[in-house]
Amino acid sequence: MNIRPEFLPLLFAVAAASFFCRVGGFWFMRLIRVTPRVEAALKSTPLAVMIGIVAPVALRGNIPELAALATIVAIMRWVPNDLVAALAGVAVVAALRFLGL
Amino acid sequence: MAPGILVYGMAFGILARQENLSLLESLAMSFVVYSGSAQLAAVSAMGQGGFVGLDAIASIAAAIVLLNARYLLYGAALWPWMGGAPARVTLPSLFYLGDGNWVLSMRAHADGERDAMYVLGSGLSSFIPWMAGTWVGSIAAGLLANPKALGVDFLLVGFCAAMGVVMLKAKADWTSAACALVVALVVDRLAPGGWTIVAAGLVGGLVTYVRFRET
Repeated sequence: MNIRPEFLPLLFAVAAASFFCRVGGFWFMRLIRVTPRVEAALKSTPLAVMIGIVAPVALRGNIPELAALATIVAIMRWVPNDLVAALAGVAVVAALRFLGL
Repeated sequence: MAPGILVYGMAFGILARQENLSLLESLAMSFVVYSGSAQLAAVSAMGQGGFVGLDAIASIAAAIVLLNARYLLYGAALWPWMGGAPARVTLPSLFYLGDGNWVLSMRAHADGERDAMYVLGSGLSSFIPWMAGTWVGSIAAGLLANPKALGVDFLLVGFCAAMGVVMLKAKADWTSAACALVVALVVDRLAPGGWTIVAAGLVGGLVTYVRFRET
């Protein structure tokens, strides 16, 4: 229920990383101009990061996760709501893990 | 927006508890980072490499910077509106900025809203469900025998897959996405953990930067 000393370096690092992103862009505007090229690169980063998160899980090829990913893609085609799709994916994972797959 | 933020907060609370973070440590992290995707990625990296030592901390911090890189853009876009406001308004506004509240703010600004406090107000309204979700998740995980059976660890992957589908349907840079995929698979083989996300994100951004053509 308390904060361990060995947790503090991580806490400071994540706080600094978060602060840099939140305040950095605002302050950089005093120094530089965000060119369309920089903007395009910043905009394409989130999708690349998401690929970096999903790809290793898909690569491991466990049935619950693969079935859940297929479910999510199918749901997003009909109901474009990422919360509904993600929760449905979690439900599929839970159900198939329960069945021992 | 609030139900999604609450669910996200709970997922973080549950997963953080599985990585042995105490309630106070989870709340502290939610307080200083305040980003669902970044924190879920941080706890999944902790599951693979722990959180002690320079390598583990550096990979977690780098993953947070990349997942939150869009905030650099959000902040830049707010500059024309808030550049003249005092730091006591701009700093908390930027700190409590979220995706939804940035979109709302930019729309309000286009409609003529000029009060800089608008950004802070709409940001704070998401902060309460976020902290509450973290708290409930951390407590609930202590009561569950095996949270992994509920599939909570899949939530971030599920969200990323769902949002990735949306982004690919929109005007995405497919070459950048393909390069990110290849790099992710290679790095995952060589050095699993937080660095996979970092490498994929950097390569995706760089490829778009290099290939960019003025239209």
